[in-house]
Amino acid sequence: MTDLKKAKAYKSEVKPIWCPGCGDFSVLSALTKAFAFLELAQQDLAVISGIGCSSRIPAYLSSYGFHGIHGRALAIAAGLKLARPELTVVAAGGDGDGFSIGGNHFLHACRRNLDMTYIVMDNEVYGMTKGQASPTTHPDWTASKLTPHGTGVRPFQPAAIALASGASFIARAFSGDPNGMTKLIIDAIKHPGFSFIHALSPCPTFRPEQKQWKNQVQKYEHEPTDDPVIAATRLYSDDGMSTGLIFQSKYPAWHRTDVEQASITQFEEEFLV
Amino acid sequence: MIKPEEIEDLETFLALSYLLEIESSDRYSELADNMQVHNNPEIEQLFRKLSEYSGMHAAEILEHSKGKVLPKVASWQFQWKDPEGPETTAFELAEYEMTSEKVLNLALHNEISGRDFYAHIAQQSPSAEIREMAAEFTEEETEHVQLLEKWITQLADKKELIRDDLDPPNMPE
Repeated sequence: MTDLKKAKAYKSEVKPIWCPGCGDFSVLSALTKAFAFLELAQQDLAVISGIGCSSRIPAYLSSYGFHGIHGRALAIAAGLKLARPELTVVAAGGDGDGFSIGGNHFLHACRRNLDMTYIVMDNEVYGMTKGQASPTTHPDWTASKLTPHGTGVRPFQPAAIALASGASFIARAFSGDPNGMTKLIIDAIKHPGFSFIHALSPCPTFRPEQKQWKNQVQKYEHEPTDDPVIAATRLYSDDGMSTGLIFQSKYPAWHRTDVEQASITQFEEEFLV
Repeated sequence: MIKPEEIEDLETFLALSYLLEIESSDRYSELADNMQVHNNPEIEQLFRKLSEYSGMHAAEILEHSKGKVLPKVASWQFQWKDPEGPETTAFELAEYEMTSEKVLNLALHNEISGRDFYAHIAQQSPSAEIREMAAEFTEEETEHVQLLEKWITQLADKKELIRDDLDPPNMPE
């Protein structure tokens, strides 16, 4: 009748240790609802992450998953997708993991356009290590002892960089709108190529001022475009708080064409010492 | 997106009503888990109780639905006043040091929203069957509002212990 009982089935027995009020709860909830809506078989689904608070997400899901190494969620996810193209592969993590430590992987994942989804939960801070400035932190944020005068550095622009790097689906979501996020995740998974969701996900512990984001976000006022020039113009003229699908193109997804078949025995022989 | 007051068939209305209660119950349960993890057992139990009550209301809606085939509905297909359904507590409202008073006031807010939601449908729906059912649900939600108000009054008579957090998560290193 409804998908909710099914959505619960995608949650594991492990209870999230995120801080009360953390935006990542909404992302977890939206993911399970999207999986249920799409009726994805758990054995055909893999969620891959790096390191950080948000990167704990595979443990909270009842699917295949890999809590990988810092910044390498996309590298692992890409390897998995190439080896097992029939799987639905979702990579997830935070802004530090994805845009700093894993920044180079992000550029090339956008460019390769493998058929997978990447969700970055952006709270503009390294929360797990107790609150240091991340690539998306604004230059005048002074609350960390490491940057008492602010970073003085312009923040990374995830959506604009995804566009410039060739991502074929770019959306921005907000954890305070779990329904909107669920819809975007569904569309992202259905998209035949690299789909990137920049998820604004407040950190109530180290960035309590982000509780105001709910008063600052607004729905994207434009229909999504497939023209990168129009998308770029829009992205540079918005304040980074507009949510919705921004850009979707039909760039062909990259698939391996040189797959060699080998028996398990042959494969094992390669590894014999 | 569909406006709930424009639903024309009873089956879709019942499916949506059931969804709202299950979402509410699930959210209370998730918040209870969160309080358990952060060692706030009194508030965990309170959220569990609220989850159970929402679950009971969902079961009542299923009783009303006996013999009917309800369609598959999803909350993002509908237009809400708030980002989620009227009886769902936003994750962002949870805090480490929640008190019973705060939790009950959140629950009261949800029940008032639920009551107003059904009252609006009872007035606006194009279907007489839906209007009748929504009026019944409005009465039930009104009872829940009254129960919670009573509960909050009783709580105000007791002095609730507000715990000091000796190890706050954002303590400077």
